[in-house]
Amino acid sequence: MNLFQTLALIPLLVMASLTVRGAVRGQIRKRVAFLWLLLWLGAAAALVWPRSTVFVAERLGIGRGADLVLYVGVLLSLSGFFYVYTRFRRLDRQITLLVRAVAIENAHLPTPLPVSPPRGTAKTS
Amino acid sequence: MFPTCCCASSCPIWARPLDSLRSTVFDGYHMLSPRPIEPMDAHSKQTDVYIVIAAFNEADVIGEVVADLLGDYPNVVVVDDGSDDHTADQAGKAGAVVLRHMINRGQGAALQTGLTYALQQGASYIVTFDADGQHDKADLPKLLHPLRSEEADVCLGSRFLEDGSAVPLPRRVVLWLAVLFTRVTSGLRLSDAHNGLRAFSRAAAEHIDLRLDRMAHASEVLDQIRSSGARFQEIPVRIRYTEYSMAKGQHGSAAFRIAWDYLVGRVFR
Repeated sequence: MNLFQTLALIPLLVMASLTVRGAVRGQIRKRVAFLWLLLWLGAAAALVWPRSTVFVAERLGIGRGADLVLYVGVLLSLSGFFYVYTRFRRLDRQITLLVRAVAIENAHLPTPLPVSPPRGTAKTS
Repeated sequence: MFPTCCCASSCPIWARPLDSLRSTVFDGYHMLSPRPIEPMDAHSKQTDVYIVIAAFNEADVIGEVVADLLGDYPNVVVVDDGSDDHTADQAGKAGAVVLRHMINRGQGAALQTGLTYALQQGASYIVTFDADGQHDKADLPKLLHPLRSEEADVCLGSRFLEDGSAVPLPRRVVLWLAVLFTRVTSGLRLSDAHNGLRAFSRAAAEHIDLRLDRMAHASEVLDQIRSSGARFQEIPVRIRYTEYSMAKGQHGSAAFRIAWDYLVGRVFR
């Protein structure tokens, strides 16, 4: 392994261990954690055995292994972006509903004109 | 101590709050007349109308706008959309019901908050009114009349039906594009697509569910009016273009943002 491979493996290992830890602690759902692990393992495999990408690329009719990595990377990034965007929209909507509920719950009624004295303890604030 | 007259609407005494009901007891004439006379005579307080005002940093003018409206319409609801200034205090002092968005959510969100609240309070008619003083209270009877006589479910204010030349030219261009946009996207033929002055019957308001929180609600509401099958009318209204309202209003460049929000909103439901 050359220096780049060694250095690039470190963050991948960190991500993989974080994923496992998250799954064990129940912060990430098992199925989602599995998908993430698959991604890290795939990246690590492509890193350690660059020839393997060529093998897959040729099966798929793509010329070079590097192209395959690029295409897969772009596709994954775009779908990830889309996913985050829809999540963001949902969150945005939920915040609005929350803010609305609080606003209506705490409606400030106008202080009544001093025509009739208020019932109970008359206090001015 | 003028008795509040019941002839303001088609006389649904049962729909009136207690104090106006008390006065109708003495009002033998109108209780007998099946068709009330013209709405809005000098002393009629329109208790069944809720005026909803979405306000963001309008402390300088909101008090005046609210006080003016309260003269004839006792139910004014100001939704303070997370203002940094004293909008809520000013509106409350002037006598409005104030709903406070803890954080800014946009005009569409604020209007929907006001609509929801007004419906909860039992409003028969709901009017949306701008906070910056550009709308004219004198136009309200014109918008409410078709609703009360059940000729329409929604009345939309239009600044172009009568004297469009009062509108500054750059604004006229942007608004004309908005009308065109509405014609393409919603299939509605309107003369003024983005006028904040609108009146809804209760039934029509119940069909409104604004999900586009920012300015694109103006197109969204038209879509919902159309899809709910509500009958709508455009009513000529006067817009006061003051220096204040021009500075606070939407700039032409915002149109792209609005169009984007609207189109995205049509894709993601």
